[in-house]
Amino acid sequence: MQDFDYWEPDSLAEAVTILSALKGQAFPLAGGTDLLPKLQKGQVSGSGVVNLKHVPELAGLGMERTSLRIGALTTVSSLLANKEVSTYFPALAGAARALGTPQIRNLATVGGNLCNASPAADLAVVLLAYEGRFKLAGPGGARTLAAQDFFIGPGQTALTQGEILTAVEIDIPPLHSRSAFLKHGLRKSHEIALVNAAVQLTLESGTDKIAATRIALGAVAPTPLRVRTAEAVLVGTRGGSAAWDEAAEKVMAAVAPIDDIRSTGAYRRHIAGVLTRRALHEAWGEAYETANHA
Amino acid sequence: MKLPITLKVNGESYRLDAEAKRTLLDVLREDLALTGTKKGCGAGECGACTVLMDGKPVNSCLVLAVDASGREITTIEGVGGLDGLSPVQEALVDHGAVQCGYCTPGVVLTAKALLDSNPHPTEAEVREGLSGNLCRCTGYVKIVEAVLAVSRASERRD
Ligand SMILES: Cc1cc2nc3c(=O)[nH]c(=O)nc-3n(C[C@H](O)[C@H](O)[C@H](O)COP(=O)(O)OP(=O)(O)OC[C@H]3O[C@@H](n4cnc5c(N)ncnc54)[C@H](O)[C@@H]3O)c2cc1C
Ligand code: FES
Ligand code: FES
Repeated sequence: MQDFDYWEPDSLAEAVTILSALKGQAFPLAGGTDLLPKLQKGQVSGSGVVNLKHVPELAGLGMERTSLRIGALTTVSSLLANKEVSTYFPALAGAARALGTPQIRNLATVGGNLCNASPAADLAVVLLAYEGRFKLAGPGGARTLAAQDFFIGPGQTALTQGEILTAVEIDIPPLHSRSAFLKHGLRKSHEIALVNAAVQLTLESGTDKIAATRIALGAVAPTPLRVRTAEAVLVGTRGGSAAWDEAAEKVMAAVAPIDDIRSTGAYRRHIAGVLTRRALHEAWGEAYETANHA
Repeated sequence: MKLPITLKVNGESYRLDAEAKRTLLDVLREDLALTGTKKGCGAGECGACTVLMDGKPVNSCLVLAVDASGREITTIEGVGGLDGLSPVQEALVDHGAVQCGYCTPGVVLTAKALLDSNPHPTEAEVREGLSGNLCRCTGYVKIVEAVLAVSRASERRD
């Protein structure tokens, strides 16, 4: 493991001060499940680690009026144990369930999953589909970014020097909405996604017409990808397999997957279409129940 | 950079100075001589290094020792030994679910945490619960049967 200096700030202001004083030479540490393997291999270009675990402003998971505030330090297993998450945000619960192993879920945090900015990150694709608001704090003060403006490229985010992700907020979906998350890998669990997908459908009350939809995919582009062209073909339709096929075509046209040791790009593109159809079908079935039998 | 650390392991408090870069796994094995916790991959993949932190299984190879300061750590030495095996250990022996034994300490701790939070899991829950503990020998069937047997035995007692 490479050498580093270590800090344990106990307030957000102190954490920001340390990180900005060290000018990009120090890294925040949350659960460590992405950072520790990199430090073990000596792949971190920096000499300091700033443990965020004692910063109270980054903790907490709960409803604030009509949105859910997810503190950056929220672990994946606490997402799974949360009632609001399972009731209102089934795609988030699904992604949390599909992430890593029980041991990893007890360590891994939401903030770490997002700031690590892997194109395959399971929570990133979901928070993109839920139009999460990313709360940042840095030497210049606090600011809020839309999920899609946060991810810049593989391992790259919009965080500037000294900036920390403090929380993500997501709004309770409108009535008659339903979301779904699907992940495709080579094993049933303990697997980084070859492709993952999150969708949300909102139906008009008392009808089976689609009022709004959101479609996001991961591991098929340099960042998690929102596919608005696919969303557009669904709005105003009654869904069904022809509509899902059309949306899947748009997704397959929009993605830009790479070949790597885990999969070919062509296979990823195919799976992106398959997951889009299945996720839409799953979300639609459940949204239809709530819109027509409420 | 050396830091003073207080580790609470199996109910005992240990004070030591450790480099910031040392993992909980290495400090347990090398400084505290608690070598029941095994090192496999060192990267969070295999689960051989599993310990309980505040009752929850974690990969001790991914935790800095300084970061474990003040948390309650349980290692295999705190669960049962030759003078009395825990129910999960008994069941693993009875079912022939231990071959080389390298994965066993991690399996025991993970299964114990699973049964503590969910005393009567389904087979699917047991398999998912143990998905972070790789075993190269047994093929998992006997491990899963052993954990289910502990659950059934406690059901009879309930
Ligand atoms: C065996 C294994 C399996 C895995 N499986 C999956 C999987 O199935 N799906 C998946 O998506 N991921 C998976 N991962 C990756 C990892 O577990 C997750 O990305 C996890 O959520 C990272 O969170 P962390 O708290 O451990 O991050 P850390 O390692 O602590 O941090 C990750 C990065 O984010 C930065 N950071 C952390 N918090 C903040 C913050 N608040 N503000 C600014 N920067 C911050 C750190 O500096 C670091 O660069 C796996 C990892 C392992 C080892
Ligand atoms: S040694 Fe920690 S998971 Fe393999
Ligand atoms: S018994 Fe040998 S690895 Fe499990």
